[in-house]
Amino acid sequence: MNRDHTTLLRLRKARRYILLYALLIAIAIAIILPISWIVASSFTTRETVWKNVLPFSWRAFFPADFTLDGYQAIFEKDFGRALLNTFFLGAVTVVFGIAVGAMSGFAFARLKFRAKNFLFALVIFSFMIPGDLTIIPSFVLVRDLGWLSTWQGLIVPGLANGIIIFLFRQFFAEIPQDLIDAPRVDGATWLQVFTRIILPISKPALISAGVILFLGQWNNFFWPLLVAPDPELRVVQVAVSIIGIEQQVNLWEQMFASSTLAMLVPVLLILPFQRYYVGGILGSGLKG
Amino acid sequence: MLNKLRLERWTPALFLAPAIVLLIVFRYIPIVLGFEEALYTNSLSLAGARKFVGLNNFIAVFEDPVVWGSFKTTMVFSLVVNPLQVGLALLLAELINQRVPGIAVFRAIYLVPVAISMNVTAIAWGLALDPNYGLINGIIRTLGLPRQPFLQHPSQALWSIIGIISWIGVPYWSLFFLAGLQGISSDVLESAHVDGAGSLRTFISIKLPLLRRIIAFVLVSDTVVNFTLFAPIYLITRGGPQLSTHLVMYEAYRRGLVYGDIGIASAIISVLLIVVVAFVAVEFIVLRPRH
Repeated sequence: MNRDHTTLLRLRKARRYILLYALLIAIAIAIILPISWIVASSFTTRETVWKNVLPFSWRAFFPADFTLDGYQAIFEKDFGRALLNTFFLGAVTVVFGIAVGAMSGFAFARLKFRAKNFLFALVIFSFMIPGDLTIIPSFVLVRDLGWLSTWQGLIVPGLANGIIIFLFRQFFAEIPQDLIDAPRVDGATWLQVFTRIILPISKPALISAGVILFLGQWNNFFWPLLVAPDPELRVVQVAVSIIGIEQQVNLWEQMFASSTLAMLVPVLLILPFQRYYVGGILGSGLKG
Repeated sequence: MLNKLRLERWTPALFLAPAIVLLIVFRYIPIVLGFEEALYTNSLSLAGARKFVGLNNFIAVFEDPVVWGSFKTTMVFSLVVNPLQVGLALLLAELINQRVPGIAVFRAIYLVPVAISMNVTAIAWGLALDPNYGLINGIIRTLGLPRQPFLQHPSQALWSIIGIISWIGVPYWSLFFLAGLQGISSDVLESAHVDGAGSLRTFISIKLPLLRRIIAFVLVSDTVVNFTLFAPIYLITRGGPQLSTHLVMYEAYRRGLVYGDIGIASAIISVLLIVVVAFVAVEFIVLRPRH
C-alpha cells in the first residue's frame, strides 16, 4: 500500500517534469528558431534565400549554400563604418555616462545638501517618462543648438540617465560607513574618498551601468534616425533600417546579414553579464 | 585650509551638477518646449512662417480624424498589449522560477530577445510574417492551412505588431516578476503547501497578492513605453493597411518631421505626455510605501 502510494507520487512528479520541460523547450524554440533562421539566411544568396521556406523544410534553420555575398555587399556600403561609429558612441557613452551617474549617485547616497528630495524626485521622474516621448521637442532643442549631424548631438542628450543614477545611489548606500569615515578623519577630500575608496569596490555597479548604457546606445534607433542623417555618422540600427526599407529593391540576403551583425554584439554582451544586466534594470523597479 | 573647507562646501554641487544640468536641459526643457511649440504653426518650414495660433493645434488633435484616430488606435492597442504582456510575463516568470536541472540554460535563452533591438526584431518578424514568402506562412502552408495576410490586412496587422513586440516585451518584464517571486519567503510557500494548496492555488492566492506592487509597476511602465512605440510601425506598416496600425507616435513623427509641422506634432506629444504623467502619478500614489 505504502509502496503504491510512493509510486503514484513519483509518477505524478514525473508527469509534472515532462510537462514543465515541454513548455520550457517550446518557448526556447520560439526564441531560437527565428534567430537561427535569420543567421542561416544571412549566408545564402538572393536566389536561394527562400528555397527552404516554401515548401518549408527544417533546412531553413541552417545555412544551406554557404556564401558571404550578403556580408560582402553590406560592407561595400560602409556597414563597417556604422559598426565602428556605434562602438565609438557606445564607448564614449559608457565612460561619461558612468562618470555623471556615479558622481551624482554618490552625492544622493552619501552627501548632505539642500533640496535633496526634490532633486532626487527629478531623477526618478525622468526615467518614468520615456525619452522617446519627448523626442520631437528634443530634436527641436538639438537643432536650435546647431547640433544636428554632430557627435555631441548623438551623445550628450543621453549621458544623464535616471536609471543609472538610481543604480549607483542604491549601491553606494550599502557601503559601510567605516570605509568612508576613516579616510575622512585622516583629512581626505570627498573626491579622494570617491575615486580611491568607493570606485575600486564598486565593480558590480560599474559593470551593470556599463552594460546597460552600451546596450542602450547600440540598440538606439529613433534618436539617431532624427538627429544624424549624415552618412558619416550613421549608426548600426539606422544602417540596418536603410538596407531593410529605404532601398526599394528587396536585398534580402543583405537584410539578413546586417540584422545578424546588429544582434550578435548585444547578445554576446548580455550573456556573460546576465547577472549584472538583470540586477541593474531590476533596481529601478523593485526598490524605492 | 580655508580653501579646502570652501571646496568641501561645494562638493555636493560639483558631484551633482553634471547630472542635474543634463537632466534639466535634455529631459525637462524639451517637455516645456513641446508645450510651447504646440502653440505655433509650421515652425520647421524655412519661410519664416512660425505663427502663434493659440490652442488651434490642440483643437486639431481632437478634430482631425487621422490624428484623433491614431489616439483611438493607440488606446485599443494599449488595452490589449499591456494586460497581455503582463499576464504572459507573470506565467513565464512562474515557469522559470521552478528549481529544476538546467533552468539556468533556459533563463539565458529567454534573455536573448531582451538584448535584441526593436528595430532588428521588427525587420526580422516583418520578413517572417510576409504573406508571400515569409517563414511563418511557409510553415502554415506546409501544414496544409490557408495562407495568412498578417501585416498586410487591417484585421490582422495590429495583432501582428502586438505579437512582434511581445517577443521582446514578455521576456523583459518577466525578469521583474521572477525577482519578485524569488523574494517570496519559502516559509509562506511551505505553510501553503502544508495546508494542502496546489501550485495553481498558491500562485493565485499567495503569490499574485504578494507581487501586486511589482505588477502595478510593470503595468504602468509597460503602458508608458508602449505609448511611444515607433520602430515597427515606421519599418513595416507605415501606419497601414487602412490606418489599422496608425499609432500616435508614428503620427507625431509623420506630422512633425515628414510634413514639417512641428506645431501639431508637439500638440500630439503634449496630450500624450499629460496622459503619461497621469498614469505615473497614479503609480506613485499606489506604490507609496505604507508606514
